[in-house]
Amino acid sequence: MDMIVGIKDAVKLVSISIICACAVLVCTMFINYGTDLSSVKALLTTEKERIFYDAQTATARVVCLITGGCLLMTSVVTLLFYIKYYIDAHKKELGILKALGYGNGRIAASFWIFGSSVFTGAAAGYFGAHLLMPAMYRLQNKDAVLPEVSVRFHPLLFVWMVVLPTMFFSVLSVFYARLRLKVSALSLLRGEGAPEKGEAKHFGKNRAKKACGEGVLEQKAAAEMIRSGKHAASAKSGFISELKRATLWGKKSLLFFIVFSAFCFSAMTQMSFSMKELSSGMMGAMIMGIGLILAVTTLFLAVTTLVRGNAKTITMMRTFGYSQRECCNALLGVYRPAVYMGFAVGTVYQYGLLRLMVDIVFRNMEGMPAYHFHVPRMLVSLVCFLVLYEVMMYVYSEKMRRISIKEIMMEAE
Amino acid sequence: MITLENVTKAYGSGESRTQVLKGTSLSLEDHDFVVILGASGSGKSTLLHVMSGLEKPDTGTICYDGKDITGFSDDQLTQFRKEHIGFIFQQYYLLPNMTVDKNVKMGADLAGNADYAEMIEAVGLKEKRYKYPNQLSGGEQQRVSIARALAKKPDVLFLDEPTGALDEETGRSALDYICRLYEKYGYTIVMVTHNQNIAEMAHRVVIMNSGRISDIRMNETVKTAYEIGW
Repeated sequence: MDMIVGIKDAVKLVSISIICACAVLVCTMFINYGTDLSSVKALLTTEKERIFYDAQTATARVVCLITGGCLLMTSVVTLLFYIKYYIDAHKKELGILKALGYGNGRIAASFWIFGSSVFTGAAAGYFGAHLLMPAMYRLQNKDAVLPEVSVRFHPLLFVWMVVLPTMFFSVLSVFYARLRLKVSALSLLRGEGAPEKGEAKHFGKNRAKKACGEGVLEQKAAAEMIRSGKHAASAKSGFISELKRATLWGKKSLLFFIVFSAFCFSAMTQMSFSMKELSSGMMGAMIMGIGLILAVTTLFLAVTTLVRGNAKTITMMRTFGYSQRECCNALLGVYRPAVYMGFAVGTVYQYGLLRLMVDIVFRNMEGMPAYHFHVPRMLVSLVCFLVLYEVMMYVYSEKMRRISIKEIMMEAE
Repeated sequence: MITLENVTKAYGSGESRTQVLKGTSLSLEDHDFVVILGASGSGKSTLLHVMSGLEKPDTGTICYDGKDITGFSDDQLTQFRKEHIGFIFQQYYLLPNMTVDKNVKMGADLAGNADYAEMIEAVGLKEKRYKYPNQLSGGEQQRVSIARALAKKPDVLFLDEPTGALDEETGRSALDYICRLYEKYGYTIVMVTHNQNIAEMAHRVVIMNSGRISDIRMNETVKTAYEIGW
């Protein structure tokens, strides 16, 4: 069984390791700081100290919640996306196992290994946080408003930050794999697998047509429906526009992930830019670094999946004589509007989130800076995104141009 | 007319370099039906890929009506395939998320052929026009790929083991469709196979052995798909 889902496959989930490392790094630092800070609460005497204390604990809590929450969501989506594509790519091997008599549960159990990528990332983040903590504490103590807070080791934090996430992701992998494997062995062997919602709709329509076509009258009615309906309209438009439509709606999970990556890029970069003024410079720089790594990682994963997922179609089109430009326009360019929409939603989301944080969490605190939507920051983020997205698309389409048609056909066989 | 002169092709480098084609020369007439026969590893598929412009040869020339395509850039080769070549593969390579209609339209659009429905009808799939590939049998999928290849009205149709994944009945049926459409449209056929019986359907049989053409023979009588052995 390990031959099907092995440690090598888990290693490919570097992106999840990176995301987890970032999440655990930030959360460990701030939870540790928040816990150590509470030990000086009894020593506070003045009103100024108490306000400053409240501001510090609230900031630590909000940073943990926002960063940790965002990163947890990103990790879950990335993991589910990867498992889905892993199963899609290994349908035949999984089908053989099922045909031999392995149950869904037994096959799915081997997917626990994907939790190991979470463990690697979380452990790296946890130890990284302990390396950075002394510097962070020194900076926090610099103001000398509160009594000096020293770094203490909290062993329970290791369980919360490393052990539990690893277990959670391992269990999630097994359950999701089990869900995706709920198709017959024959379907997997034929490469069908569990249809996505869009595909299911198509199949539903076809079944309806088949049912309609059982009698002569019904056949005529079905033919009329088809003639007057969608198919008649589509017959007028070219193959490329049909392909665009089918590509976009045929793989909804890929569409979601691409939009999600743009959303993450926008939210992460713009949140990072804002952190600098809402908290300390060090925290701002750290969050910005993490935000950029995450944004690039998610976008990279989305673009590579997009290109690889369409490699065979592009090859077949090139074989028949469609130009590389036509192929890229139809299969890669079709996601562009959705991607920009994801970016716009990410911008609105991060603005709303920070507005909420400033208006609700910090509403009773003095000295908090007012938060406004910063157009230049959004433009910087947009330009970075545009350049990154287009460069990645270009690099990958050029890379694909260099792969010989025969090479991809051999892979397909 | 297609002319190949002293074509060579090798894969890999250093010690792992394999010389697949070792100086192949061949001449095909328009409307010819040629079968390239050979054992696995004899270089027949590579010859087909090189001849059809899917790959470039290392040395030698390939001319279509006197025009040498060996110096063509990738874009020029794409344009050349678009205008002249049709393919049918053993693995069909249909687009899984598109219906039979759209798969055939993929070929038809390249030739500006709006009447591609005729081709779907010709391969007996009129009733399954709006089905998806995974709702069809292997034989039906191969018939879709035949319709797709012919909908672009090619001058030359290249077939790489078209019956390799089919049982006898569906294999014969697919070959019958190809031959009937060949008689109707008159394109040139170059088919690669390891099945010696299929060779009896061709006008000419090219036998490949270890990267070289070892024999070329003419069939005096051509058999139909239902007359050959299997």
